[in-house]
Amino acid sequence: MTDQPIIQIKNLNKFYDTKQVLKNLSLDIYPGQVIGYIGPNGAGKSTTVKILTGLLPEFQGEVIIDGMSMTENPQEIKKLIGYVPENAEIYDVLTPMEYLDFIGKLYGMEEPILSERIEKLLTAFGLGTNINDRMDTFSKGMKQKVLLTAGIINNPKILILDEPLSGLDANAVILVKELIIRLSKEGKTIFYCSHMMDVVEKVSDRILLINKGEIIADGTFESLKQNHSDTLEQIFSKLTGREESGVETDAIINALD
Amino acid sequence: MDKILLKLVSLLNPMLQKTGVNKDQLNEILRIKLLMDNRRPKTIFGNKKNKSGKPPKSIFSNIMVVILGLMMSFLLFISDRPLAGQTLYFSMFMVMMALTLISDFTTVLIDTRDQFIILPRPVNDRTVAMARFLHVTLYITQIALLQGLPGILLVFFVDGWAAMPVFFIQVVEATLLSVLLVNTVYFILIKLVSPQKFKDIISYVQIAFSVCIFAVYYLVPKLINVSSLKHIDLLSHRWVSFLPPVWIASLNEIVLHAGRANLTILVMAVTGLIFPVIGIWFVAKVLAPGFNRSLAIVSSADGNSNASASTKKQYKTDFRDKLANLVAPDPIENAGFKITWKLAARTREFKMKVFPAFAYVPIYFLYFAFNGKGQSITEKYETMKGNASYIFLIYLSTFVLSTILQNVSQSAKYKSAWVYYALPIDQPGKILAGMYKAIIVLYFIPYCLVLSIATVIIWGPMTINDILLSFCISTIYGMLMALFMVKGLPFSKPIMVKAGGGKMIVSFVILGLIAALGFGHRFLIKWETLIWILIIPMILINWIMFIQYKKQSWDAIELADTDK
Repeated sequence: MTDQPIIQIKNLNKFYDTKQVLKNLSLDIYPGQVIGYIGPNGAGKSTTVKILTGLLPEFQGEVIIDGMSMTENPQEIKKLIGYVPENAEIYDVLTPMEYLDFIGKLYGMEEPILSERIEKLLTAFGLGTNINDRMDTFSKGMKQKVLLTAGIINNPKILILDEPLSGLDANAVILVKELIIRLSKEGKTIFYCSHMMDVVEKVSDRILLINKGEIIADGTFESLKQNHSDTLEQIFSKLTGREESGVETDAIINALD
Repeated sequence: MDKILLKLVSLLNPMLQKTGVNKDQLNEILRIKLLMDNRRPKTIFGNKKNKSGKPPKSIFSNIMVVILGLMMSFLLFISDRPLAGQTLYFSMFMVMMALTLISDFTTVLIDTRDQFIILPRPVNDRTVAMARFLHVTLYITQIALLQGLPGILLVFFVDGWAAMPVFFIQVVEATLLSVLLVNTVYFILIKLVSPQKFKDIISYVQIAFSVCIFAVYYLVPKLINVSSLKHIDLLSHRWVSFLPPVWIASLNEIVLHAGRANLTILVMAVTGLIFPVIGIWFVAKVLAPGFNRSLAIVSSADGNSNASASTKKQYKTDFRDKLANLVAPDPIENAGFKITWKLAARTREFKMKVFPAFAYVPIYFLYFAFNGKGQSITEKYETMKGNASYIFLIYLSTFVLSTILQNVSQSAKYKSAWVYYALPIDQPGKILAGMYKAIIVLYFIPYCLVLSIATVIIWGPMTINDILLSFCISTIYGMLMALFMVKGLPFSKPIMVKAGGGKMIVSFVILGLIAALGFGHRFLIKWETLIWILIIPMILINWIMFIQYKKQSWDAIELADTDK
């Protein structure tokens, strides 16, 4: 970890109108790290992701990626990033081939390499026979595989995954988990957002917990465990201030009487 | 066709590159967007669901556009001065273009998917904005050329050969101006309101538009003497020169009738040519950049989630809740009542289909009532007041009832209706009963009340018994429709284009029956007491049928196909 950090965030603040969603966020992320980014709904997770992917160009503070500033050079930065969005938005009247060809061309990739790569990737994901079918007939898991392919099509240095496992079956989940570890060994940086604590616990080598716009825990799973409890789930609920276990369930049971 | 258009656009490349647009990306975005358009069914004139693999860009809808263009081009012959005729033609032309743009492109202009698909890639804002603008323009150009074709040919008979190329330029000008106007309004609106509200506003504009066109089509010929347009001098009104269609028409005047043109017309013609260019620059430079940003904020979860629940919203029970409890005390019926009321009030496509019907009724009525020839408007009004045509008004309102009933069981989100099937409801007729009550109480009665007040004001209080009787007979119609035609639970079926053949016959039989009752009513109108008495059996019939409707079992309910 003697390298320069690949992602540097310094004093990042973000307001929606008067509401502050990110409060003085500062972070250094190094190449090859798998970051597990967790936090309750509305904590500022997706805002962070939007700023890192260049979707929200207005913020206060500094975001430096691979030595380039997000405010000055967003297009060059976007070339380094692969992004799998949470809400599975896709042009589903297209076929996977057409869609991925489109995405690849936006990255400026050339024809023969691109279509060869698409075919190899889709086959590896088990969609080899569906390359030329329209995606409006696809299941959620199949669409998610196409989105994952779109996320790595440009061989990005940084991969930002937002709930990448939604809709995938058990085998595909194992595939993606293995893939994340392999990619990090190749030196890729992975920024993994999820609500599924057990997966985050297993794949990430550094966990960031955000609550109300502030990072309240930062470290390996092991180091977080020593301070608090034994599963990430428990750590999460303690740090985000959930009430004493049992209080909420009591209230629910009582309401039924 | 698309390839040719893309070639045409690439002619602009050198100019576009100078403004910071990436031409390869632009070309790629346009290509994929046009490809998607071809696979997406059109809304105007097109059939809603085209499941077959064929491109839905059907020849039929193209022919419809040409025919519409042909009808419009008769406006060119309306006046002996081309300026007036052309102004009318291009007003119509631009309205049609704007309508097409609004109905087909609401989804395109605010396609939130672009946020996650295009913007995370290394594409700059200007390329995206330009792609969006060119996409709209290309699409609309195809329609504009079809619509303008009859005009281009027929203008020959007005002004000779030379007018044809000029007219072509005018068509292009009108198209650009329409795109520009709609775009500007969109860009400004989206800066002011949230996309959700924005979509609502757009659909209200669409409703208002279609009602206006309907009204103009039926009523203007009845109210205005067409021959007086023959010698109209538009420019005698100062404000006219600020209307874009006049600028377009001026081009013809200045080129082909230079002799009688004056300075004003010259200025207007030049404005018409320059305005689109300035407008495109304005859209690209000033309005477009903020557009993506405001979309990004809205589609972000953190932006609108109310994590800090400091402002806890209290549900306010309004009079409609009390009404629901009053007319539908049974819990299941109450649920049916409330779900119908709330979904109907919040479902955009339902409102789009039903609300125009409310306006069509008085328009139809005036159309028939003002049928006298060669009279002035006041004379027509007096004739209308003199006869008992008001009965017709109430009976016409059954049109509203049948429109609601036909649409109330359909929804684009019909899959949410699984709750009805998952819950232990032994008598689904109760939900239907609640639904029917909601329609009558919340839509039909208030509407009839408004019509009745108007009737009493115009024709006098003597009409009250007739109103009541015709109201009862109208609800019999509604009840029959519900019994025989509406077998789906509220908002539980996918949207269908047309009912099957058997249903058509049933609905004609019902309509015939009601027409017979209506004429019977008209026949008995002089015997006031008899009308009062007749109200009682009609209420009874309603009541008996309603009990029957409430007893519907699951066997009678039409379920949506749940296999897909």
